[in-house]
Amino acid sequence: MAVKRVLIVDDDPDIVDYLGFFLKDEGYEVSSANRSSSALAALDDFEPDAVIVDVVLPGKSGLDLLVHIRQHERWSEVPIVVLTGNDAIVRNNGENYLAGFHLKRGADLVLAKPVDRDALVAVLSKLTGANESN
Amino acid sequence: MTDSDHLTVGPAAPDDGAVGIDGKFAASHVPGVEASSYELTDTSMYKRYWDEMPCYLSIHDKDFRIIEGNRRFRRDFGDGIGQYCYKVYKGRDEICPNCPVEATFIDGRNHPSEQLLTTASGVQVPVMVHTTPIHDAAGEVVAVMEMHTDIEEVKELQRELHQSEERLAQLFEEVPCFITVQGPDRIIQHANRRFREVFGVGIGEECFRVYKHREEQCLSCPMMSTFETGRTHDYEAAVLSKDGEELNLLVTTAPLRNSDGVVESVIEMGVDITQIRELQDQLTSIGLLVGSISHGIKGLLTGLDGGIYMVNSGFERDKPERVKKGWEMVQRNVDRIRSMVLDILYYAKDRELIVEDISLPGMVDDLRDGIKKKALDLGARVEFKIPDDIGVFHGDPQAIRAMLLNLIENSIDACRMDSEKTDHVITVVARRAEPFMTISVEDNGIGMDRETREKIFSLFFSSKGLKGTGLGLFISNKIVDKHGGTIEVESEVGKGTKFIVRIPLIARPSTTPDGELAGGAPGLGI
Repeated sequence: MAVKRVLIVDDDPDIVDYLGFFLKDEGYEVSSANRSSSALAALDDFEPDAVIVDVVLPGKSGLDLLVHIRQHERWSEVPIVVLTGNDAIVRNNGENYLAGFHLKRGADLVLAKPVDRDALVAVLSKLTGANESN
Repeated sequence: MTDSDHLTVGPAAPDDGAVGIDGKFAASHVPGVEASSYELTDTSMYKRYWDEMPCYLSIHDKDFRIIEGNRRFRRDFGDGIGQYCYKVYKGRDEICPNCPVEATFIDGRNHPSEQLLTTASGVQVPVMVHTTPIHDAAGEVVAVMEMHTDIEEVKELQRELHQSEERLAQLFEEVPCFITVQGPDRIIQHANRRFREVFGVGIGEECFRVYKHREEQCLSCPMMSTFETGRTHDYEAAVLSKDGEELNLLVTTAPLRNSDGVVESVIEMGVDITQIRELQDQLTSIGLLVGSISHGIKGLLTGLDGGIYMVNSGFERDKPERVKKGWEMVQRNVDRIRSMVLDILYYAKDRELIVEDISLPGMVDDLRDGIKKKALDLGARVEFKIPDDIGVFHGDPQAIRAMLLNLIENSIDACRMDSEKTDHVITVVARRAEPFMTISVEDNGIGMDRETREKIFSLFFSSKGLKGTGLGLFISNKIVDKHGGTIEVESEVGKGTKFIVRIPLIARPSTTPDGELAGGAPGLGI
């Protein structure tokens, strides 16, 4: 089975390095973009099986990118994981408001920073079907 | 008195039913009673009625002598009959000004008035006086009857009313809030003392001019709503005192109705809640600070987490490059923790400046190596262009150093985030331009859009996502401001950013007498 590809969209080189090394260690092929505009080009070039998007990006936000991808003819179905540092701040009666907000706009999963690596791998594996061959 | 002396009391119409002094009543004045059965012929009967009247009755001749008095008169004024009324009633030696008896002699009408009589025993009695003419058969006024009704009780009630009015007026004046009464034309009709003290006189002026220093009426006016609906309204308003000081008021408007129930004016009562608002603002700041710090810590944890993963996995897989990168990441985040803690401490403790002569080349020498290394690790060069003979300026070395470091670290971050360019340069230039020391920090990093540029000096604003607390530039701005200087920013997305700081060579710190920063947020003391 072909190696699954993950596109990381984050403006922080540290996060890109960290997640890049980690996902490569886990057997994924990784590419990155540091802003929404370059992410759209990377989709066509890299043809990822899943996309990890940070919420805060220079220029158009990760949220704008999310909505844009979901409206894209070719990439509307690509699995998207949103990374956010704000998840724990806005809660109402135990319901995660912000996560619900991103999910409604098309995120398949919302993960809080610092990233739980096991959860990320489990989710990516499920979303990309990476472990189906095993 | 004989039949030939027939006299009639009342207006000059002998048959109009008034009481004749000989005791004859006209029957038409007693409805349902036969005229003949009520005819009073017995003079003693009349005398009895006359005497029993519960007031002072006296009859005065044209010389103002009392020619007759009833029993109560005789009881309190003794042998006053035959004497001048002004002497008997008032102890005067000449006729009283505005004498009602005299007026009745002249026009034949009743002249009611209030008087203060003094009895023979010296007791003062407030009375209501009525006068009525006594005519002879020819219709001439030959005497005047005066009736004095004791109004001591009425007077007492009036005194109480007056006292209660005074108490109310005092309450209105002294109540510790601002009270005004406005008409539908918005003109202030009344204002209490506290209002006059803080807002100037204000009476006769339109409320929006006095309360808000506006030229035209406010867009939304709760007072006019009260005129329209007749209901009270509560609202919060920011107003300006006569000295231009901004106050937060909690205002209640209430209708003042006339006897027909129509709202004639509106009373506005304002309570000064400025201090409460300031406290709330500070509490909000603390809340934001806590949120911001938690957010910042999360970012640092992500960085540390990533660094540690890279160090560990690098060792496991024998990849020294990865270990090096991971270790740098750990170091960077430890540096960030240090700088964040310093920022928080600076914010929390609004320390006073300790001003001394600062030599910029000396200060930069201390910083140069650390900064250059940090920048190089991230692929950026830092160039310092500071003439050795630039001279000294007044400032707090610790604060200026923190401000410089902050600006340079911001530039390093801006370069690190920029993947479009490969060659990143940060230039620090200092120039002596009387009366300022001008320091600029310029980078060719990611740059900022207009919105970011306008917000960067705001507390808790950060464009760095998880990396920022939004404290650094706020504090840098505060430091410069405290030195009486200015800080400007020029920036363009994709091209870079330039901060220009101007600090007076001679210290003129912009601090208020109590040490609080003018125009800036006060320290929270947490």
